[in-house]
Amino acid sequence: MAVMTAPENTPVWVDTVRCKACDICVDACPAGVLSMQAEPTSTLGAMISVIAPDSCIGCNECELSCPDFAIYVASKKEFKFAKLTGDAKARQEAIANNGFRLPTDYKEAN
Amino acid sequence: MAFNYDQYLRVEKMPTLWCWGCGDGVILKAFIRAVEKLNISKDDMCVVSGIGCSGRFSSYVDFNTVHTTHGRTVAYATGIKLANPDKHVVCVAGDGDALAIGGNHTIHGCRRNIDITMIIINNFIYGLTNSQTSPTTPQGMWTVSQKAGNIDPTFNTCDLAIASGASFVARENVTSPKKLEKIIVQALEHKGFALVEALSNCHINLGRKNKMNSAMANLDWIDSITVSKKKYDAMSPEEQLNLLPTGILHQNKEVAEYCDMYAEIQKVHQGERKKITQDDFTKKI
Amino acid sequence: MSATREVISTGNELSAIAAVDAGCTFFGGYPLTPSSEVMHVISDLLPKVGGTAIQMEDEIAGICCVIGAAMGGARALTATSGPGVSLKAENLGLAQMAEVPLVLVNVMRGGPSTGLPTRVSQGDIKQASNPSHGDYRSITLCAGNLAECYTETVRAFNLADRFMQPVIVLLDETIGHMHGKAELPTVEAVKAGIVPRKTFDGAPEDYRPYECGPTEPATLNPMFKGYRYHFTGLHHDAMGFPTEEIETCRKLIQRLEDKVMAHQDEIELNEEFMMDDLTGEEGEVLIIAYGSVSLAAKEAIRHLRADGIKAGLFRPITIWPSPADKIKEHTSKIKNVLCVELNIRQYTEEIERASSRLDIEGLYKVNGRAISPYEIVNKVKEVF
Repeated sequence: MAVMTAPENTPVWVDTVRCKACDICVDACPAGVLSMQAEPTSTLGAMISVIAPDSCIGCNECELSCPDFAIYVASKKEFKFAKLTGDAKARQEAIANNGFRLPTDYKEAN
Repeated sequence: MAFNYDQYLRVEKMPTLWCWGCGDGVILKAFIRAVEKLNISKDDMCVVSGIGCSGRFSSYVDFNTVHTTHGRTVAYATGIKLANPDKHVVCVAGDGDALAIGGNHTIHGCRRNIDITMIIINNFIYGLTNSQTSPTTPQGMWTVSQKAGNIDPTFNTCDLAIASGASFVARENVTSPKKLEKIIVQALEHKGFALVEALSNCHINLGRKNKMNSAMANLDWIDSITVSKKKYDAMSPEEQLNLLPTGILHQNKEVAEYCDMYAEIQKVHQGERKKITQDDFTKKI
Repeated sequence: MSATREVISTGNELSAIAAVDAGCTFFGGYPLTPSSEVMHVISDLLPKVGGTAIQMEDEIAGICCVIGAAMGGARALTATSGPGVSLKAENLGLAQMAEVPLVLVNVMRGGPSTGLPTRVSQGDIKQASNPSHGDYRSITLCAGNLAECYTETVRAFNLADRFMQPVIVLLDETIGHMHGKAELPTVEAVKAGIVPRKTFDGAPEDYRPYECGPTEPATLNPMFKGYRYHFTGLHHDAMGFPTEEIETCRKLIQRLEDKVMAHQDEIELNEEFMMDDLTGEEGEVLIIAYGSVSLAAKEAIRHLRADGIKAGLFRPITIWPSPADKIKEHTSKIKNVLCVELNIRQYTEEIERASSRLDIEGLYKVNGRAISPYEIVNKVKEVF
């Protein structure tokens, strides 16, 4: 079975060498876990970042939709995933409406 | 849960040369997951790819791999399979490769029903060579060879395959990677010519000049033109006109497979059975 | 090969039989006059010995499936005529570039284009030298009699495996359809003479299929045997993966050239018929001819000698690479040289190049009919 072991206490992790900053995983995430960040050395000037790992619900949509082997999700045995909250959904909406980048002045509800 | 794709990849070739967000990578991952699910040994698998962006598919996987001339994957694969009938042979070709220059070979691969799995990655354009019209580019879209608008009618890949005699025909999108993986598993398991049309997004070539400038916009468009076979069958012709059904569209496990039939030819010549006649076939014309 | 057996057959049939005797296990092709009989005969011979013969949907599919089978390790054959070689050209190029061995039998007919499907020519000589675009060296053999339809096909398979590329065997409609007696080596001798391609039997992680000396071919293990690598028509590195690196590309193309040209001694084969007493005296005549025309030339030489003219025949059996050194040697010695071909000067131009002479006489025929011994005799008397 071709399985990768997750790093300790990590729901989702990224490979920034392989990521091409296509935005698809950020778009696919329902919970505002991911965001692009400015990265001047990258081809598109952006790079993926896991900004809210605690919100990750383990749906695996990011790993399935990534074309570049750049993002991986732990198994339920390796991490206790969260449930989807209203705050997470709101954050996701803000990210999606801001070119897939968390607005710099974004304030969490709590 | 995290799938270790690296076990099946030629890791030193990463990252892929495909554009950011190109669906080809999603199809590659679904294929790898399918191979793992079926426990196929790397040495028993041969991937034959054509020319185009999808042509690079074969160089990324750690199997026996062949990168052919434009349009000829099925012809090469037929020789590989006939000479090694107990091995898995998979063709990966784009819409231009498989349906334009390679149309004839695709048709005859279907007709022979030889046990090959063919994944046609349809991104509705010639991507690698920068935006020329392919046999699936929608009419009216902008292409670099028809800047006044494409007037060429389109093929329906799956209808073509079914009419040509393929015994397993399916279609799925890169927006449904788990469904795509399942279809590829079933295609690999099927004994006979199994054609899978995988709809992919080329936002850099097709999309950029046709109001689909981002991967997401292109993926949304693919979602908008596809619907499950079940829903499709219940629709009127007017509703069906601009939709493509997804799922397994045709499967017949009773059709004789070509390598099996050739084994019978060998038996005839080795004196183990009498000659093959029309009586051996239900279909007599 | 001292022991022989007598067989009565046609050129096409002999070529098919030779392939199977030489270990061919795969044929892929398409009907094309006047080569089709090769396919008809081998489609019965191969399944009998557990091999495979398939008639594909077109000429291009015919060569592609053969290359595919050869990638899997099979000795593979296709047979066609001029129009088929034209269609196969692109994929012959891939076989050259990826270094895949195979044998292509071209039974030449009147061209160009549809030409004269049922009539003879030698019009594919230049094409055989470069059927596909780009730089590489063709190995082309030409059968000059019935027995050579057999022996040259056998030799072609060994050369293909030795040099890891396609080898073309030229027949022509006359010889392909000629029915007569041939003295052949025994099957045992042929089998004992099979030299299969080199393979690597070290650890898979140490295997570098395309890493080899500058005058050596690639070492390509058959697929499915635990050695995984990549075949492509693109420029490639040691494992077969695409690359545009400057030195790698230069070395690859130079090696495709040198792997053949540095070992011409293993490829060259000629017949020198009645040339022993040609010393360069006034009045001697050297005829250069190949294929079925050489049969008429030999008869012509007997007539000429009966008429007091010392004539001899130099017959290249390996057409490409040409026996340039021998051509130079003989044409430096003998003043009167007549090239006889069923085309317009296709090999004459190579003779001119190799000999540095522009005064080579020629007898050419392109109407689909054979050249008779008398036509050659009369031409000699006319021009010399």
